[in-house]
Amino acid sequence: MQTDVLLKADNIVKCFYEPVKFQVLKRVSLEVKRGEFLALVGKSGSGKSTLLYVLSTMDTEYEGSLIIKDTLLTNKKQNDLAAFRNEHIGFVFQFHYLLPEFSALENVMIPALKLNKKSKEEVEIRAYENLKLLGIHEQALKKANKLSGGQQQRVAIARALINEPSIIMGDEPTGNLDSKNTQVVFDIFREISKEKGQTIIAVTHDDDFANHCDRIIEMMDGKIINQ
Amino acid sequence: MASYINNRISQIHLTSNIRQTIVAMLGVIFGISMYVFMTGFMTGVNNVQNDLAFSSLAHIRVYNDRPADNTNIASKVFPNSVINLHNAKIIKYTDGIKNSNTILDALKSQKDITGITTQVNINVFFKNAGNKVNGSVSGVDVVNENKVFNTSKYITEGNWNELKQRTDGIFVAVDLAKNLSLKVNDNLNILTSDGISKNYKVIGLFKTDVASIDKSKAYININAARQLIGANQTYVTDIQINIKDYNTTENVINKIPPIIPFKTESWQMANQQLVAGSSLRDIIAIAVSLVILLVAGFGIYNIMNMTINQKIREIAILKAMGFSGQDVTQIFLTEAVVIGFIGGLIGLGFGYLIANLVNKIPFEVAGLHNLPMAYKLKDYILAFMFGLVTTFIAGFIPARKASKIDPVTIIRG
Ligand SMILES: Nc1ncnc2c1ncn2[C@@H]1O[C@H](COP(=O)(O)OP(=O)(O)OP(=O)(O)O)[C@@H](O)[C@H]1O
Ligand SMILES: [Mg+2]
Repeated sequence: MQTDVLLKADNIVKCFYEPVKFQVLKRVSLEVKRGEFLALVGKSGSGKSTLLYVLSTMDTEYEGSLIIKDTLLTNKKQNDLAAFRNEHIGFVFQFHYLLPEFSALENVMIPALKLNKKSKEEVEIRAYENLKLLGIHEQALKKANKLSGGQQQRVAIARALINEPSIIMGDEPTGNLDSKNTQVVFDIFREISKEKGQTIIAVTHDDDFANHCDRIIEMMDGKIINQ
Repeated sequence: MASYINNRISQIHLTSNIRQTIVAMLGVIFGISMYVFMTGFMTGVNNVQNDLAFSSLAHIRVYNDRPADNTNIASKVFPNSVINLHNAKIIKYTDGIKNSNTILDALKSQKDITGITTQVNINVFFKNAGNKVNGSVSGVDVVNENKVFNTSKYITEGNWNELKQRTDGIFVAVDLAKNLSLKVNDNLNILTSDGISKNYKVIGLFKTDVASIDKSKAYININAARQLIGANQTYVTDIQINIKDYNTTENVINKIPPIIPFKTESWQMANQQLVAGSSLRDIIAIAVSLVILLVAGFGIYNIMNMTINQKIREIAILKAMGFSGQDVTQIFLTEAVVIGFIGGLIGLGFGYLIANLVNKIPFEVAGLHNLPMAYKLKDYILAFMFGLVTTFIAGFIPARKASKIDPVTIIRG
């Protein structure tokens, strides 16, 4: 039986030890439901990115526990986590990281090819559709390092969507986009959360964007002050 | 098995920075081609050396060894007594091998033997009028001598097989003939240590390029030699044996002694300087080649390390998207192995080319015309394997490092 809660973080504590010991996350607890579209806001330096890295399973050095899809992910092996991310988590980085030598289309295809559940042709068609959805299908065959910042960001979003993951995490996914494209991305997120029940957690500084989400979580000094 | 996407990533890495790939490949090409060339050259030199040696040396020689040191024979019988013996006369010992047929029959049953010839070697003076030169005349079994020593190859004038019928004929080494002012069809007088003198007709000349032989040797029919010293029809001084692989003389010799009461000597025992020379050359060739391969391997290691440092962010992204450590290792190892494989193949071709060019360099010494070179498939295969192993190791270390990259520390910046 699948519970309604997709992600459950419990008392997450995260410290950095360089250059001096510094506690970034102070006993953060959080529950996110399936199909929820969530905005994570807060001042710069409040720990939003840090929290997102923990929730995305990339950061494994924290205290507390993390459960996604009823799977306890805390203390799992790196390779198991990688496989889990590949299938269940889509991530859009704050600094849109693409593979520079690959075309936009291939960048989008890579997570699906890695998952290896669909044929290369199917993956290619889907990847192209995703690019079209974001209005950059005309750049599909361009190398990633030849694209503008906003175009790269949209490719990164298309890539995060390709495996239809249960949860998509975006660290300022619309940070480089104009208001029109921001609206496009918002509409896509809105639709997939509603239609396909995919969960979205997006860090944003855009109040308008945040206000239209299902829920806003506000952070300050490593704590959730408002949810 | 490497997945499609891993291979595709390796491929993109290799092709998108073609210059770096070529530089890495050049290291392998250089290493492999030098390896192939060096071993070919050294083997070539060894072969020439052996050819020269085996023109007068069989792989195994059976002969009647002189008795042991008999200068103080009495003390051997009475070891504890003081005996003074001056001008001791040793009773004449048996010379040569009297009854060679039984021995030959026994030898012929040995499997590894490819050729046997018998000789009656006699130390003589060669005389032409006033000129007198000492040397040795070899009474030979004409057909078998040619089988074992390839004698006809060294004939510069005359027909080797003529010696079969001509018991009065003699083949003389070129320098010896020159010293005695002899030409073909001239007469040559031979004087043995027992004072017997006989005339022969020069029916041919030969040149081995071994100076000591070219100055002092002549061939006559074995029966003529027996006549000359008054020996019976089965008398021989040496039995010369060739075997399949001249490096395995020991095996063959170990099988022979029980049959034969005479001394059996391998070419290695008789010519230890040859063995030493050839082993030393082998060691040099291997050492130089390994150093070259090591340098090439180090080059690949450096370039792979550089690549991985350049691509550290990409590696982090791949891992963030779900690629495992093994995937990353595989991606970079594939790149190294592809570089090793293609570089190795080109290196083999290039090495063959260099070997061919060097092989054409004129070198007019000791019967050679060009620098010697051997082209052995085994060396080429070995070079290729070494190249692959080197690139594999050189690629594995940086690839392992790449697989351990923690994505979040890189992505956080
Ligand atoms: N690698 C690190 N080592 C030490 N301290 C770090 C490291 N990364 C982040 N921090 C600190 O942790 C705190 C939270 O950083 P984080 O990146 O999570 O902020 P943020 O909320 O995402 O800010 P922004 O909105 O500017 O992206 C900051 O004070 C930052 O200086
Ligand atoms: Mg941030």
